[in-house]
Amino acid sequence: MLSVLIWAPIIASVIIGFWPNNAIQPNRLRLVSLTLSGLILLWNLFILFKFDLTNPGMQFQEYLPWNETLGLSYQLGVDGLSILMLILNSLLTWIAIYSSSKDTERPRLFYSMILLVSGGVAGAFLAENLLLFFLFYELELIPFYLLISIWGGEKRAYAGIKFLIYTAVSGALILATFLGMVWLTGSTSFAFDAVSTQTLSAGLQLLLLAGIILGFGIKIPLVPFHTWLPDAYVEASAPIAILLGGVLAKLGTYGLLRFGMGMFPNAWSTVAPTLAIWGAISAIYGAVVAIAQKDIKRMVAYSSIGHMGYVLLASAASTSLALVGAVSQMFSHGIILAILFHLVGVVEAKAGTRELDKLNGLMSPIRGIPLISALLVLSGMASAGIPGLTGFIAEFIVFQGSFSVFPIPTILCVVASGLTAVYFVILLNRTCFGRLDNDLAYYPKVLWSEKVPALILAVLIIFLGVQPTWLVRWSETTTTAMVAAITPAEKTVISQVALK
Amino acid sequence: MDFANLASQLNAGTILPEGIVIVTLLGVLIVDLILGRTSSRWIGYLAIAGLLAAVVALYFQWDNANPISFTGGFTGDDLSIVFRGIIALSAVVTILMSIRYIEQSGTALAEFIAILLTATLGGMFLSGASELVMIFISLESLSISSYLLTGYTKRDPRSNEAALKYLLIGAASTAVFLYGVSLLYGLSGGQTELSAIADGIITAKVSQSLGLVISLVFIIAGIGFKISAAPFHQWTPDVYEGAPTPVIAFLSVGSKAAGFALAIRLLTTVFPMVADEWRFVFTALAILSMILGNVVALAQTSMKRMLAYSSIAQAGFVMIGLIAGTEAGYASMVFYLLVYLFMNLCGFTCVILFSLRTGTDQIAEYSGLYQKDPLLTLGLSISLLSLGGIPPLAGFFGKIYLFWAGWQAGLYGLVLLGLVTSVVSIYYYIRVVKMMVVKEPQEMSDVVRNYPEVRWNLPGYRPLQVGLVVSLIATTISGILSNPLFTLANNSIAHTQILQATITKVSTVPLEEPEKL
Repeated sequence: MLSVLIWAPIIASVIIGFWPNNAIQPNRLRLVSLTLSGLILLWNLFILFKFDLTNPGMQFQEYLPWNETLGLSYQLGVDGLSILMLILNSLLTWIAIYSSSKDTERPRLFYSMILLVSGGVAGAFLAENLLLFFLFYELELIPFYLLISIWGGEKRAYAGIKFLIYTAVSGALILATFLGMVWLTGSTSFAFDAVSTQTLSAGLQLLLLAGIILGFGIKIPLVPFHTWLPDAYVEASAPIAILLGGVLAKLGTYGLLRFGMGMFPNAWSTVAPTLAIWGAISAIYGAVVAIAQKDIKRMVAYSSIGHMGYVLLASAASTSLALVGAVSQMFSHGIILAILFHLVGVVEAKAGTRELDKLNGLMSPIRGIPLISALLVLSGMASAGIPGLTGFIAEFIVFQGSFSVFPIPTILCVVASGLTAVYFVILLNRTCFGRLDNDLAYYPKVLWSEKVPALILAVLIIFLGVQPTWLVRWSETTTTAMVAAITPAEKTVISQVALK
Repeated sequence: MDFANLASQLNAGTILPEGIVIVTLLGVLIVDLILGRTSSRWIGYLAIAGLLAAVVALYFQWDNANPISFTGGFTGDDLSIVFRGIIALSAVVTILMSIRYIEQSGTALAEFIAILLTATLGGMFLSGASELVMIFISLESLSISSYLLTGYTKRDPRSNEAALKYLLIGAASTAVFLYGVSLLYGLSGGQTELSAIADGIITAKVSQSLGLVISLVFIIAGIGFKISAAPFHQWTPDVYEGAPTPVIAFLSVGSKAAGFALAIRLLTTVFPMVADEWRFVFTALAILSMILGNVVALAQTSMKRMLAYSSIAQAGFVMIGLIAGTEAGYASMVFYLLVYLFMNLCGFTCVILFSLRTGTDQIAEYSGLYQKDPLLTLGLSISLLSLGGIPPLAGFFGKIYLFWAGWQAGLYGLVLLGLVTSVVSIYYYIRVVKMMVVKEPQEMSDVVRNYPEVRWNLPGYRPLQVGLVVSLIATTISGILSNPLFTLANNSIAHTQILQATITKVSTVPLEEPEKL
């Protein structure tokens, strides 16, 4: 059942990549991939509706022995932590393919790589074996490198290599930590439930946890390791940026939750205060740097750093409420970033620039691009945390859940959230409002097909904003169980420390 | 000694695979003498058939109950069978590559194949040799043929220079090796058989003496030369650049595998008393090789030179398994060498194809290739990415197993260095992929712009294509379907007496009982 999510896109990607006829229309290929990813999305939704909300453990498990010598088995399962990420992955893949241009150059390679990435990400979220997770994690490396450096902007070669190296380093760190976790605990298998770090000394646990945090921190990204992000997001074309920011960043936070908190319940409490402060710094830094940007895509890219900071804060707090918030924030950041990148892509395609100084008055009903601007306003508000939209719900749960544990970092994050509103107001003010430049403003019409993905995402953002149960109900039991695993004694120690 | 006793002592059946190779070799020579040049159209296939027959014969020798033959001079155990198989297969692919390459260079194919088969023979005997003289003779027959092969395109000054360099360094290192070997003979009280030397050294109570250490170091100098471990690597880049490319393909896989086979057998049998010392030396060699190979490869502009430094680096990775000295360590070496066979030969096939069609092998000239030759682009990309250890290709599983075995044996520093240098290696491997795949049509190099139309029906191209496709498929799927290869590698170690006696039981975790093949 779950295997379909991995193998359907991967097999399709191989078939598309090797499709013999060179003269095949890009449009035809796009339709094929679109249909396929739509079917996968439907299949994913079907799994979502079969998902048992009361079961905190893994569901729909699949197991096949693979390589006993390495302790590698093909073991899949889905729980509250991963189900939403899977939906996000297949939804954004569909949207990325939908919003790709109808006459993409080298379409076979393009769609083949997107589908490969989609299957790989699904595999990483589903894997119940450390080595299997790593395999899928590293599988992203080359396709994304190619996607950035072939179909990207002007400095794509630089951005691609930078992304590649950062991600490869992250992979090396993660692999080293996984090897350490398994070997030091004397386990013979890399399966999740076979690895228990409880028996290790506190120092070793901290060392391994540091490896996990650094490894995934590059991917999330946390502040000193984020420098690949602006380049990669900005140089990537809109559909790729959607996948990069919407899905790939979630691999980092998912890994942090699953392997950091899930596997080091003891050491996690020790590093939690540092992580909370780190998250707050990330959030503030992302917001402040975004204010200074002159390019709307860069602004959105830095907003992503800020929003991932909240996830870090919530995972550090690790109350059951905060964790639900973390998962919700991951999902809503995914869809908000996707709509933002899509809209920015449309604006760039129509207006021909991304500079804040050159754009003006896009809201103008006749000669501007009013619907796109309206949606841009909506998604800016969603990103800034305005009630009624999904961003607010997620952030509010995060803050509510974290305040009792880490009051000061939470307040810093609230401040950062305010700063987010600041730069989005700047962005909206400079682009949507004002007067159109009479000499330059002869924008091409926005086609319906370009509006559809944004409209779908906008509906989703509003729906989840007013009906948040549909956002939080999936992860509640799992996160409660995860919190329960962190020993109660340790928790009281933390809250005392934090109160002092 | 009556005849039956003598026959059982000789046990000549164990060298049946080599016998087949010898017959093929003679067949190639004689056919060439009789028919002359006209034979060159099918003589390559004759040699391939012979080598494949040798591999089949090897298969039937698996789990030979009585591996020791020639009164201890040769051991046909499973370890030697695996390595002999690797060497024979690398010769098969080399011949597939060279049919066109040698023809185009205007030299005789049959002579080339004859020398190549001699080198193969030397390597195969070296894998099983368990007696000092036998080791030296097979090492020399491998080396001398390699010098000849390196200088085979004798009108090319670079090839001549490479041959001279290889000869001088090779002969010197063999002399050093010989000195180490002769010391062993003296120290052990006149024994030449490996296990008898170990006993002799214990009896003579010289097991921690300076003499033993000196002989160890001298022998390592000889082995390090064969596996091109830094700092004995200096010949590699120059020879790789100058020699005919099929020869390089053979040297990088066949000759290297033979070197590792020799290393395992000699070091574990003769030097168990100074195991810490040789582990230490090899640790240093591995660190140097990984750093130097990977870092210097970054700065190369020629494809063959880049692959030369890459092969130095890959030797560094393989040494992790040797240093670990556990069952998993040796098995991971064998497994890595097996997949290295596929990926390196796939890569070299593509390099040959490119240089046959364009006459150059500069990395910059590959730019924009995907438009003109997608199969070559795919093959080279896959093999380079696999060398870099990208999942789910064969090289990824090979490296994971090496690192896993290294970590189990407590070699944390080496494994971490391996991981870091792997990241470095991804950079230079991906540079070539970038040239081929990422570059726009307008950034195409002149060579690629004038690329001849891809035609496989020209004489000698079909075997190249077969070699490319087979090794490409093997590189792609032998990672995912790695269980048979893993079982093979593990069994070859588990069934080998000499290793079982000396394996350090570092591992506290019982390994899964490997299934019977």
